[in-house]
Amino acid sequence: MKKKLMMLVIGTCLLMSGCGNSASKPTEAAAAPTEKAAESSVEKTEEADSGKEIVAGVCWYNFADTFIANARQTLLNVSEADATIKVIDADSQNDTANQTNNMNNFLTKDVDYLVLNNINTGAISEICEQLKEAGCYGIFANTDSPKDEDFAQNDKLYLVSSNAPKSGTIMGEALVEYWNSHPEADRNGNGKMDYVMLLGIQSHYDTIVRSQYSVDAIKEAGIEMNSIGGEIVCEYSRAAAQEKVSALLANYRDDIDAIIACNDDMALGAIEALKAGGFFDEEDNYIPVTGVDATVVGCEAVKEGTLLVTALNNPVTLSKAIYKVMYLTNSGEEVTTDSMGMDGVTVDGHRVWLDYKKISKDNVEEANYDITDVNFK
Amino acid sequence: MNGKKLDIRNLMMNYALYIIMILMIGAIAVISPKFLSLRVLTDILTQSSTRILVALGCMFIIVSGSADLSGGRVVGLTAVVAGSLAQTSEYYIKFWPGLPEMPIIVPVLAAVLVGVLVGAFNGIAVAKLKVPAFLATLGTQMVVYGVNCLYFNKAPNNSQPLGGFLKSFSKLGTGNIGGVPYLVIIALGCAVAVWILQTKTCLGKEIFAVGGNPIAAKVSGINVFKILMITYMLAGALYGLAGCLEATRTGSASSSYGLSYELDAIASCIVGGCSAGGGVGTVGGVVFGVLIFNIINYGLTFIGLSSYWQFIVKGLIIIIAVAIDVRKYAGKD
Repeated sequence: MKKKLMMLVIGTCLLMSGCGNSASKPTEAAAAPTEKAAESSVEKTEEADSGKEIVAGVCWYNFADTFIANARQTLLNVSEADATIKVIDADSQNDTANQTNNMNNFLTKDVDYLVLNNINTGAISEICEQLKEAGCYGIFANTDSPKDEDFAQNDKLYLVSSNAPKSGTIMGEALVEYWNSHPEADRNGNGKMDYVMLLGIQSHYDTIVRSQYSVDAIKEAGIEMNSIGGEIVCEYSRAAAQEKVSALLANYRDDIDAIIACNDDMALGAIEALKAGGFFDEEDNYIPVTGVDATVVGCEAVKEGTLLVTALNNPVTLSKAIYKVMYLTNSGEEVTTDSMGMDGVTVDGHRVWLDYKKISKDNVEEANYDITDVNFK
Repeated sequence: MNGKKLDIRNLMMNYALYIIMILMIGAIAVISPKFLSLRVLTDILTQSSTRILVALGCMFIIVSGSADLSGGRVVGLTAVVAGSLAQTSEYYIKFWPGLPEMPIIVPVLAAVLVGVLVGAFNGIAVAKLKVPAFLATLGTQMVVYGVNCLYFNKAPNNSQPLGGFLKSFSKLGTGNIGGVPYLVIIALGCAVAVWILQTKTCLGKEIFAVGGNPIAAKVSGINVFKILMITYMLAGALYGLAGCLEATRTGSASSSYGLSYELDAIASCIVGGCSAGGGVGTVGGVVFGVLIFNIINYGLTFIGLSSYWQFIVKGLIIIIAVAIDVRKYAGKD
């Protein structure tokens, strides 16, 4: 029996250490696709005779995340096409320890720009301090913003991010609209919106703001709410959401008025469970489900009429905006809404905000984006 | 008198987990009587089906005295492989744009084949190269995940969750015969097949022998390398089938599928009475192990208890199960 326990303990330890150690490997692997870009940028800089190559180190929180995969590819594409700034990137694998290692690697390499898709949201000021000491430009990308004091101390600090709370607000407002225009939306007639909230990863920034701001928007509209099932953690997984909603439906079938999911995958899992439970086959057999991300399958569901609304955070816009900020600062220009010159991008001091776009049945074709589009100017 | 007392104690000990399960079902049913319905039973069995396959694969490995941490990621890879071969021609970001629509046996077999290949890779690393199984399969876990991400990121898909599956493919995961879901029938079929293989065939006995005492097995003429290769490949086939069914069940697939399924499977095997040291494990026990976790998951969500409590209850069950096991063995010493 001792053997059994030991093996379990050893297994767990190995698993932990394995995750930690693997940090360096993805960095190397990640650098590989950029080699081509590096070659072309070397050629061009020689032409321009500008001397030292400008390098940007990018820490993405998780390469496996659909949104990040697209943003990452766009940034590499734009950099390869433009060749002013060389981009190398690393995968934090959703682990703050990995992020710290990768970030330190980049700083040791003396990168000119450090782009941080930060997940260590508790240590923003410390990171800003570190960037200031390193003397390179720091760009917080698609994450919680540094504080005003952090910006005041370092004029090489920028934020390029979608206005994350907006994604929650879009879901909330869509539900308010549905509730007010459909008297039958209160399925058990208790005068309250009985909702199921499908959370992603506990303490994950997107999960926090999306769940909070969606509920806030509904409460602000004067609608009373009642949570069914409490905190339902599905880790952004479609299968988990499908299982949980299926269980809730078996007990609260006639009570659930709305399902709010912190991403499209979970929303679609919920829809799958609702379909299996006999919903969506007739007009009056509808429960509004909301999601975020506007994935391809999400948009299909919007077209089909099962997903009420989703919100698009355009990865192409994010990466183009990041590159544009680097491009402008590199050539000594000021970053303003005008100089950025991009749709849905507004600049407030050193904060560059990108709009979430509401995607519903009326404008579902606007959710398309092209990650091979490299035109950022 | 003393003997009788001891009997009751032994009985309690031997059936403690069953007793806990019955108490839990009872408690949930008291809170909400709707729990004792056919719909709930079907739901729980359906949700357990793919996990039963993964756990059965895992059981082979554990019984043979080895370990496998790659199962979950193999489920992810095979879900994406199967999904990518099962899309309709009309779907506008079809994974393989030129590919004609194929009968669903093609994605199913492709998934199983990929699973077997990964199993063979594991087998060679463990049985031939003598890499400790935990490390070898941890390595495989990462390799498989990396391969999956590369494949999944291929243009025109670009890491978008797969969709647009053929009706016949989705039907496999959502349809039923006379109220019994296909998934449950498949899982049951596999469990029976594994049970026959394990208890009625020479190969099954040899796997037990290798797990119980590899040196004794070797000197009695068993080809340990061959047995380990077969166990890993069989497990791979089951993971592959599970991955394919995950895709049919959810109507989608992405590279994040199957995350930590291997740990759930190991926990189910241990709770179901497999010995981590090898040589001990039954199909019935493993199926029970999977069911108890799924009843907890389903039941606690059913009565609207927050996910946080589910983690606590699941963790406690694992500890209680192992603690009881320790006592059983201690009694024998």
